[in-house]
Amino acid sequence: MLDTLVSQAANGLVLGFIYVLIAVGLSITFGLLGVINFAHGAFFALGAYVAWQLFQLFGWGAVIIAPPLVGLVGMAVEVVIIRRLYGKEPLLSLIVTFALALLIEAVIRYIWGADGKPFNPPPLFSGIIELGPLLITKYRVAVLGATTATLLGLWAFLAFTPYGRILRAGSRDPEMVELLGINLPRVLTAVFGLGCMLAAIAGVLAAPLWTVSPSMAANAVMPAFVIVAIGGLGSFRGAVVAGLAVGVVTSLTIQFWPEAAAGSMYALMFAIMLLRPRGLFGERWERFE
Amino acid sequence: MLKGDLNRRSFMAASAGAAATSALGWGGPARAQSEGPVRIGMIYSKQGPGASIGEYLQRGSALAAEQAGNKVLGRPIELVWLDEPNPQVSQQNMQRLVDESKVVAVVGGNYSSSALAMMSVANREKVPLILTGAAASEITGKNCSKYTFRTQATVPVQMQGLMPYVSSIGKKVYFITASYAFGQDILRASRALLKQVGATEVGVDEVPINTADYSSYILKIRQAKPDVIVGGLVGGDFSNFLKQWNEMGMKDRIPYAAIAVTDTDFWDVGPQASTGIYIKPWYYNNPKNTAAERKMIEDFRKKYNQPPSDKTWSGWIGMRALLESIEAAKSTDAKDIVTHLEQWKNTEGEFPFFFRDWDHQLVRPAVIVQIKKQITDKWDYFDVLKNTSASAEETEKAFGAKEEIGCSLPSL
Repeated sequence: MLDTLVSQAANGLVLGFIYVLIAVGLSITFGLLGVINFAHGAFFALGAYVAWQLFQLFGWGAVIIAPPLVGLVGMAVEVVIIRRLYGKEPLLSLIVTFALALLIEAVIRYIWGADGKPFNPPPLFSGIIELGPLLITKYRVAVLGATTATLLGLWAFLAFTPYGRILRAGSRDPEMVELLGINLPRVLTAVFGLGCMLAAIAGVLAAPLWTVSPSMAANAVMPAFVIVAIGGLGSFRGAVVAGLAVGVVTSLTIQFWPEAAAGSMYALMFAIMLLRPRGLFGERWERFE
Repeated sequence: MLKGDLNRRSFMAASAGAAATSALGWGGPARAQSEGPVRIGMIYSKQGPGASIGEYLQRGSALAAEQAGNKVLGRPIELVWLDEPNPQVSQQNMQRLVDESKVVAVVGGNYSSSALAMMSVANREKVPLILTGAAASEITGKNCSKYTFRTQATVPVQMQGLMPYVSSIGKKVYFITASYAFGQDILRASRALLKQVGATEVGVDEVPINTADYSSYILKIRQAKPDVIVGGLVGGDFSNFLKQWNEMGMKDRIPYAAIAVTDTDFWDVGPQASTGIYIKPWYYNNPKNTAAERKMIEDFRKKYNQPPSDKTWSGWIGMRALLESIEAAKSTDAKDIVTHLEQWKNTEGEFPFFFRDWDHQLVRPAVIVQIKKQITDKWDYFDVLKNTSASAEETEKAFGAKEEIGCSLPSL
């Protein structure tokens, strides 16, 4: 019993880390731009596809190039479309990004076909690690490492660099930031690109776990939205805690109450929303109130 | 510029609205075609997780029309293809085909839930519908309809073919099935057969559809130590499971068996993760394929530079049956088409297959296949073990007698 508990909880934590990575990009785009990006999942899929394509051409090393490339695509999309949504009705950003998601999915299908693409973990990371009751695959450990590194890097960037300070300030008081002579539109383009790049990193990491198909994000994006809601909109720390909580709760429900597996994360969200409507680490932000 | 009236509540409301998009059909008087092109509708997925399956089905149906010279009754054939994203929209699209395109018949329907919704329109509008994928029993069982025909073997028929193989592997069975009509059908059918083959159930998981991660389920299966897994996961869910099953080192430990799979499930995950014994309607590299099927494979290869999947065959045979029946009926009148579909027979193989006139089920064996030990070809993943039945009598028996099926069709 205890073995089972430990093994499922550990598995849930690892799974949670993958969700965190998807959720963080979403959370940043929302927190800093105020745009609910429904196309986040499409950028996730695009990341996996670009990585697959580069892998065919140049092997494993090239996979690292995929997320920045998708980030560039995201920046282009921001300039052409997303920029027009700032300060508008949230429903508008929802509809436009939803359409964008469908468009990107169609483009992926047009370029790479409707079939999925086989993508396996690199040989270095295939195999499992068994430690007493724990069973974790080497690849998931690698994902854990990559996610942690990405999150730490992101945190350091936002907290300690001048650029990060501008981002945070811009999200709170854009007028003041512009008065200080900072080119805010360019900053916002970069933020959207950053969100898309994070989606792409998650897509690349998920590719060996989940089938690479044009609609691969459909199943992963819902947990990400739930995590953003639980953790608090725009909260980095919240996304991490909520992601891990969703992973563990889902794992344990599958073990002990499988009938409720699909609903467990929503039940968690419901409970948190009742107790703390702003989410676990949601701050009181002027413009959200 | 960032000062929108955003708040948490609008975010939540917006998130909740994500899945709620739908298409609207236009109403209009239906009118039968008597001259000009003969319009035939197709309802196959164009987007989402079913898009790849939809594409193979559509290519099969279109190929059948092409092989007929794109003509029926000397008139040009015009194919109208609409999407099958979910039951509601599939039903609306079925209505649109009838109202707007004035089709004489529809071929399509890969998912049982969509198929059941489309059947209600077919019945009301009196338009022949040939279902090319859906496997749930009730389609030709208690919900059978005079205007609906179905090519895929039912779940119980496929399970009867599979379970003897399952019990030859081991007696302790673990079920992992999708928690909707199709998966429940599998669970019901296989539990009924467990005793007969001397096996026992050591665990069951009914997995919500669109589950991305199976690691927790796989840990559970590992603890239960079964001899064999009987699966009922579909499409992308199944591919994800296979991938993670392999990732967690289970591929060579516990064998996996399932029905109603399709080639793309495996082409999508690649040779490394593919494993198991399966039942599928057809396989392109089966020595028993008929001359017409070999011609279809050849034509498909010429066009798409790869072999067809079983879905292509399903789309192809459904369209062929329809076109041949229209020719035989010498009419595009719905009643004439239905009457001639009931009489339609394919005699190209060892023994004929046909739509049974009292439930409209295609009575034809499926193939039992096993993943090759060494996959060397990009497309050829299976060794064909045998057919689910070997003679005409055996096949008819497998599909069940009238009393068991529970279908009673009204007259036209």
